[in-house]
Amino acid sequence: MSRLARHGWCVATALLVPWLVLAAPAPLTLAGVPPAWPVLWLLPWALVDGPLSGALAGVGLGLVLDGLQLGPITQIPALGLLGWWWGRLGRQGPPIERSFNLGLLALLGTALLGGSLILQRLLLGSWVPGEGPPSPALHTWLAQTLLTALLAPLLCSLQLLLWRQQAQGGRS
Amino acid sequence: MQAGRRLRLPALRVILQAWPWALLLLALVAVRLSKGAGVSDVYALLSRPFWPGSAQGEWIRSAQSLSDQTRLRQLDADNRRLRELLELQGRGGREVSAPVISRQAGGWWQQLVIGRGELQGLRPGLPVTAPGGLIGRIASVTPTTATVALLTDPGSRVGVWVGRTQRHGLLTGIGTSRPVLRFLEKDPGVRAGDVVATSPASTLVPPHLTVGVIQSVDDRAVPATEAVVQLSAPVDAVDWVQVRLP
Repeated sequence: MSRLARHGWCVATALLVPWLVLAAPAPLTLAGVPPAWPVLWLLPWALVDGPLSGALAGVGLGLVLDGLQLGPITQIPALGLLGWWWGRLGRQGPPIERSFNLGLLALLGTALLGGSLILQRLLLGSWVPGEGPPSPALHTWLAQTLLTALLAPLLCSLQLLLWRQQAQGGRS
Repeated sequence: MQAGRRLRLPALRVILQAWPWALLLLALVAVRLSKGAGVSDVYALLSRPFWPGSAQGEWIRSAQSLSDQTRLRQLDADNRRLRELLELQGRGGREVSAPVISRQAGGWWQQLVIGRGELQGLRPGLPVTAPGGLIGRIASVTPTTATVALLTDPGSRVGVWVGRTQRHGLLTGIGTSRPVLRFLEKDPGVRAGDVVATSPASTLVPPHLTVGVIQSVDDRAVPATEAVVQLSAPVDAVDWVQVRLP
């Protein structure tokens, strides 16, 4: 595992995720909803560093982010699963680097992450029993999924380039 | 008899000559019966240029404001004493101002992080206000920061009431900028524009803190009437908040 994880500064870049979550830069929001920053960091990391490193990074990010958010709902299972899935995709077949593919993976990942949050809130009874999620939750889910998918080709491409250079440098 | 007739004639003539005085007397009686209406009107018309100007009106308003403030202080002191007797939540004592260092008012969580914490005496449950009214309660604290669960957060539940009708309800966050007020009865008699404040019977938050204004009412909601509340404090724009210490 972990060609990237051997570089301490590469791991330290994960600290950007909680920083961006807390800072919540207003220009990078869609209808008041920020993108899924952990997805944008985790996707290139897992594609380069494999399923085990991706799953561990996802769980680690989830732990940090759960500590910053209120309430009992958690992002750990979804992020761990996404890290493992994207890690497997990165090890199978040709390398994923096209903008469309990155956007699609980010879209699916964000949709899965948002869906897990909605499901947990439904199970915990945060909304009216017997009814589905209220329209604000669907609005947040759609806006975050769309924005993350739009940002992924730009941000994930740059990270993929950087991580691959680091991984190849570590190998040689 | 003739001498008597001669005596009466001058008296009648005097009366006939005095008819203007009789008219004057009648006019005075009319003034008396009308409570001086005509006189007052004429006086008002003639004295209009000398009426008191706006400056005097401001003096009166200033005096009225001072009187109201004094009365408010007395009522507040009475209220505090009575609430202590009933062991209800007070209006709180000292206020700590805190900067907003992180704002997540959109997305899955509706929360603020403020730059004051346990070292300044903050603890979970304390109410947080901004210019305009209550915005939430402290959910967790660290030594130097505190996380505020906004009233709009899906996990937020605060007891409020509508002062005009004195009906209680539960203000519930649903993840949008406008929480829902669920009343305890089917016909609370509220309407759009009514002001919502924290409940005087609340044991969690101080009473009578302004929360917002009812924007729309759904009478057909089940099991009881619901209303959408527009918060009076601008959560998206506020940079400093006040935490009310007990």
